[in-house]
Amino acid sequence: MPSARTARPLIALGAVGVVTVLALTGCANSSTSAGDAASRSGNVSRVSVTLTNDGSDKCAVSETKVPAGPVTFTVKNESSTAITEVELLQDQRIFGEKENLAPGLDAVSFTATLTGGKYQVYCPGAERELTDFTVTGKVTSTANSSAATLLAEGTKGYAQYVDGQVTDMVAAVEQLQKDVDAGDLAAAKTDYANARPFYEHVESDVDGFVKKGYKATDNAGNLDYLIDMRASNLDESVGWSGFHAVEKDLFQAGAITDTTKKTAASLTENVELLAKLVPTLDYKPEDLANGAAGLLEEVQSNKITGEEEAYSHIDLVDLAANVEGARQAFAYLKPGLTKLDPTLTKQIAKQFDATNTLMDGYRNADALGGFDTWDAATKASDANAISQQVQALQDPLSRLAEKVATA
Amino acid sequence: MGVGAAAGIAGATAATGVDPFTAATNGDESIDLSQSHPFYATAARQPQGGVRTVPQRYCVFMTFDMSSSVATDLQVLLARWSASIAQLQAGKTVGSVEPAHGAGVGADTGEALDLGPASLTVTVGLGPGIFDERFGLASKRPAHLAAIPTLPSDNLEDGLTGGDLSLQACADDPQVAYHAVRDLARMARGTATVRWTVLGFGRASAGPDQSTPRNLMGFKDGTRNITTDEDYDRFVWIDEPGSGADWMRGGTYQVARKIRMNIEIWDADVVSDQQRVFGRTKIEGAPLSGGTEHTTPDFAATGKDGGTKIDPRSHIALAAHEANGGVKILRRPYNYTDGLNQYGQLDAGLLFTAYMNDPGHFTTLQRKLGASDRLNEYVSHIGSAVFAVPPAPRKGSYIGEQLFR
Repeated sequence: MPSARTARPLIALGAVGVVTVLALTGCANSSTSAGDAASRSGNVSRVSVTLTNDGSDKCAVSETKVPAGPVTFTVKNESSTAITEVELLQDQRIFGEKENLAPGLDAVSFTATLTGGKYQVYCPGAERELTDFTVTGKVTSTANSSAATLLAEGTKGYAQYVDGQVTDMVAAVEQLQKDVDAGDLAAAKTDYANARPFYEHVESDVDGFVKKGYKATDNAGNLDYLIDMRASNLDESVGWSGFHAVEKDLFQAGAITDTTKKTAASLTENVELLAKLVPTLDYKPEDLANGAAGLLEEVQSNKITGEEEAYSHIDLVDLAANVEGARQAFAYLKPGLTKLDPTLTKQIAKQFDATNTLMDGYRNADALGGFDTWDAATKASDANAISQQVQALQDPLSRLAEKVATA
Repeated sequence: MGVGAAAGIAGATAATGVDPFTAATNGDESIDLSQSHPFYATAARQPQGGVRTVPQRYCVFMTFDMSSSVATDLQVLLARWSASIAQLQAGKTVGSVEPAHGAGVGADTGEALDLGPASLTVTVGLGPGIFDERFGLASKRPAHLAAIPTLPSDNLEDGLTGGDLSLQACADDPQVAYHAVRDLARMARGTATVRWTVLGFGRASAGPDQSTPRNLMGFKDGTRNITTDEDYDRFVWIDEPGSGADWMRGGTYQVARKIRMNIEIWDADVVSDQQRVFGRTKIEGAPLSGGTEHTTPDFAATGKDGGTKIDPRSHIALAAHEANGGVKILRRPYNYTDGLNQYGQLDAGLLFTAYMNDPGHFTTLQRKLGASDRLNEYVSHIGSAVFAVPPAPRKGSYIGEQLFR
């Protein structure tokens, strides 16, 4: 959850690394490095990392103290299923890593040229995940652009993105109310489809907003509830308002009544209230990561099933908007994340690309909201493929919060 | 559930002084959930578990489509699956259930903790798609691996047919089998997508010391199944030295068919007709030509009316090796239910898994059965797939390693 901007300070910046990496290669079996390695008589320190399972998963590091200079880490997975990657870290920054380690595969190695200092060999999933690793010798000191600084900058950019989305949402629901008031059913349907993406881009950030004077448990003061509640999760004591109440009138009843007009007016009112609250929000990097993951959960639980847009069947509009909102959050974290874990960054980017390519196949300029209708037949034939692609994206994305929270 | 009851029985016998080991050998209803099967081979050309393994009570079958077309992704998946299956069969988790950091995601899903190995075996199969143009493995295609042709009476649904990979996880505790497939499917995400699955129960085949079980039609299933070493060597294990698929020696082929039964219609059929359909008596399972269950059927024996005692269109007459050039296949099926269908009828049938050294043997049998079997009135083949099942790897290796050398 993001917090009120005034209430929470920006995240504490992580310690800035004091090491210059002269060369770093992820290629297997590289044995030479650039830099002042020659001053060490060309000696490369060799460290082997062995992964085993004898009841629990273990990560054994053969040497824990080496002189400054090029160090080759050779990683062999003998029998561990839980450990699939090994990283060399300092201050949460990755100096070298190997992924996709599985028992039976050939040993792989990476070489990093290291200057003196304390490092750690990180084996996620091992009984003891971190092994201290010391490099002795001359320290060449220059500061690196800190990942934490970049992440913090990203959160500010993201806050502006959210503000922009909510501002656009206000304009879109005002247009919807105008056409509802005028009794123009066709225009109101188009307005509805146009307004939805703005909410779906940022819904994980506005989840849980409460109007002043209401308890957190009272849905009557819960803005997310008032704006986006569905017939399927109605709180009888509060009644129904918001987007989906308008949707039902427009798409199921196919008629604009006085009630529709009142509902549209209250929707505008609540969205305007939201627009006042959102600029006060402040985000930590993990808020963006968790928010992105939350949007994909929304895809899986409400959009794929067709539950979200039960009357208009524009679920694919919402779905694409959820993915886009998640992609935006990721994009703002990306500069910092690339420093922390370039491989994970690439994995997530690749799965976003794959998801977008899949969704592009459903674009339809003639359809409401620009995407094919999510009717029963399309759902029956395509839900599985979409769900599995989103799942393939969720898996690497679920590791994002932990990465950025500890930066 | 049978397993809980079995545990209770074991406890009771120990308390009353009956030797539980004798009880376990004599009555095949008692199950020791602490039993485990090794995964790794200790000699050349040993098969994977789940083929000749004494049939466990439950089985989950799942197939996958490769979503990646990169050979190393397939390689890493097979390596991770192999090592994980070795641990799962030993009753271990695959990594931690409760990571040290609260922000971490558990590697193992945890629902099989404390349940024991329960004789789990997981059998990995490679479908014809693994050897198409995507992975550069076409030259290593096992000689007889090809999609099963369309057969008479086929009523296949696309969503229940095919797959690039298969997992057959059988165990004496259904949760142990399900957990294995769940963890392995999770591992495949990003590399492969799930295609179809069947949850099987009530083993419908028998091992050496087991009595012949019954399918959901109430008849014994598998009375004339393969049991001898000689028949395994002749009909089940692949041994074709010098072929392009030398790496498959000691392996086999897996044919999976999802066969829906029209339960309500069958239940309303008079027992004499049911017996005529199968060619056996219902309780004993004796051939209608006479004798007891294991008496060899006499397909030529005639009755008073001059016709054969065993109907020539009965299931056993058409499936008999005597009528199919001596061909036999190893059947290892399970019953399944998917609840109710859209008409409110019981949606159930047989997960027919069979092993053979040439899928053409299945095709031969089913072409005949699909065309003439009296049983066709009550069953419908709705799912189908074929896979090559490589031999078990040695410790330090993994299933299909030779493909990537």
